[in-house]
Amino acid sequence: MATPPARPGISLGRLTVHPQTAAGLLVLLAAAALIMASSRRDPEFGVFATVGLGFGIVLQRSRFCFNAAFRDLFQFRSGRTMKGVIVGMAVATPGFGLHMFNLLPNPSLGPVAPEAHATPISLALVLGGLLFGTGMVIAGGCVSGSIYRMGEGYLTSWVSFGGILGGLLVAARTWNWWWEHFIREAPVLWLPRSLGYGGAVTLTLAGLGAVYLLVLWIESRGGGGLQEAVSPDAAVAFAPKVRGLARAVFRQGWPAAAGGTAAGLLNLLSYEAHMPWRVVGELSRWSIGGATLVGLAPGPLRGTEDLAACTLRAGGGVLTHGLLLNAGLFLGSLLAALLAHEFKLRIPRKRVRYIQALGGGLLMGYGGGIALGCTVGAFFSAIPSLALNGWVFALALAAGAYIGLRVIERIP
Amino acid sequence: MFVDARGEPCPYPMKQVMEAMDRLPEGEELEVLVDHPPAVDMIRLLATRRGFLMETEPAGSAEWRIRLRRPEGREVKP
Repeated sequence: MATPPARPGISLGRLTVHPQTAAGLLVLLAAAALIMASSRRDPEFGVFATVGLGFGIVLQRSRFCFNAAFRDLFQFRSGRTMKGVIVGMAVATPGFGLHMFNLLPNPSLGPVAPEAHATPISLALVLGGLLFGTGMVIAGGCVSGSIYRMGEGYLTSWVSFGGILGGLLVAARTWNWWWEHFIREAPVLWLPRSLGYGGAVTLTLAGLGAVYLLVLWIESRGGGGLQEAVSPDAAVAFAPKVRGLARAVFRQGWPAAAGGTAAGLLNLLSYEAHMPWRVVGELSRWSIGGATLVGLAPGPLRGTEDLAACTLRAGGGVLTHGLLLNAGLFLGSLLAALLAHEFKLRIPRKRVRYIQALGGGLLMGYGGGIALGCTVGAFFSAIPSLALNGWVFALALAAGAYIGLRVIERIP
Repeated sequence: MFVDARGEPCPYPMKQVMEAMDRLPEGEELEVLVDHPPAVDMIRLLATRRGFLMETEPAGSAEWRIRLRRPEGREVKP
């Protein structure tokens, strides 16, 4: 074996600190400042800053990438990430059910529980999912994935992010057409309305269990799944055990199921505090706000005030729940990547990668805009909301990911 | 053979390694440089399925050097 490269470090007397660790500690201070400043404004904002940071740490540590979850099933017949995603939704589902019961004890009356991600099932949802799924594979990351990869130093993810904002603006400028032709009259199929909460939770968990079996079948056809490394804990003495634990948490990647469980619990905490985890609704506010400044405002968005989840939004104050979730996601990922010494400015040499990032981002922004959400709001938060639109969007995402894979197979 | 997949976004590092594994001449070693953290695990899965032996070592900040070879005297399934 080659001699390992000399370890860089910043010397503080007898203690040598890795530069990424030192930078990570500075980001930790910034994260603490974000939580304190937002809490002073409103305690609920403090919760959302914390939850956002939590998502950033969890996604970075467990490589919890929704794009890989779908794409790897087709490309490598690997279900590693999808199994984690399913675990995350299964963990959130009973808690979402209980929380919605508290908000709306009788679900059969008509209205959907407040803030639940139940949205109309229309052609816009299906087409949006197809475009989104295709775009995320071409770009190499979905919206939450791009934000956490921005924190890890991937230059193309910043380009994707620009594409997403552009796509959301185009979606906003065509929104009224989609609303009038497809979304306005489309049904909202929220399972507790006909099955009650118990029935809807049971059916959702059974559906997730069936998909888990399907993923295992795909893996077995591909030659087996990934055996995820669990840190050996052979040490007996206390200090080495603590060092081993710190290494498992901060340096080694987490198993996908651990990341899924943590993401599911964070999503539940988010809903308990105010609303489930969302990403693109807030981004549309930034995109429309920016466009308004340069005279490209899309005008009034019909019907959006009555829609839940990640509906396109305009206006509102600077500090929102969504801003804190997204800022926390970025900052949490940056923090986790630095502490793991995994931060690096990654600059692709091939020019086509930047075109892929921009094009994929535009598709995701447009798709997420007309489908009322991304892999987070329209999928990861929608299925535990006991809403059928989450399942429809998932199927469209899978089909889109397959199309995206066919596209990137032609791009060397 | 040598594959430098540094800087490449997902899934190109895994894709390039998978293609190189298929083309690797008998008895030769495949050396890979990656800086995409999830690639290390996914390449391990691909190597296990194809019967390759894999060694991984850190190669600088957020970079890994992976060496892949077929065990001697063993038929490897494509």
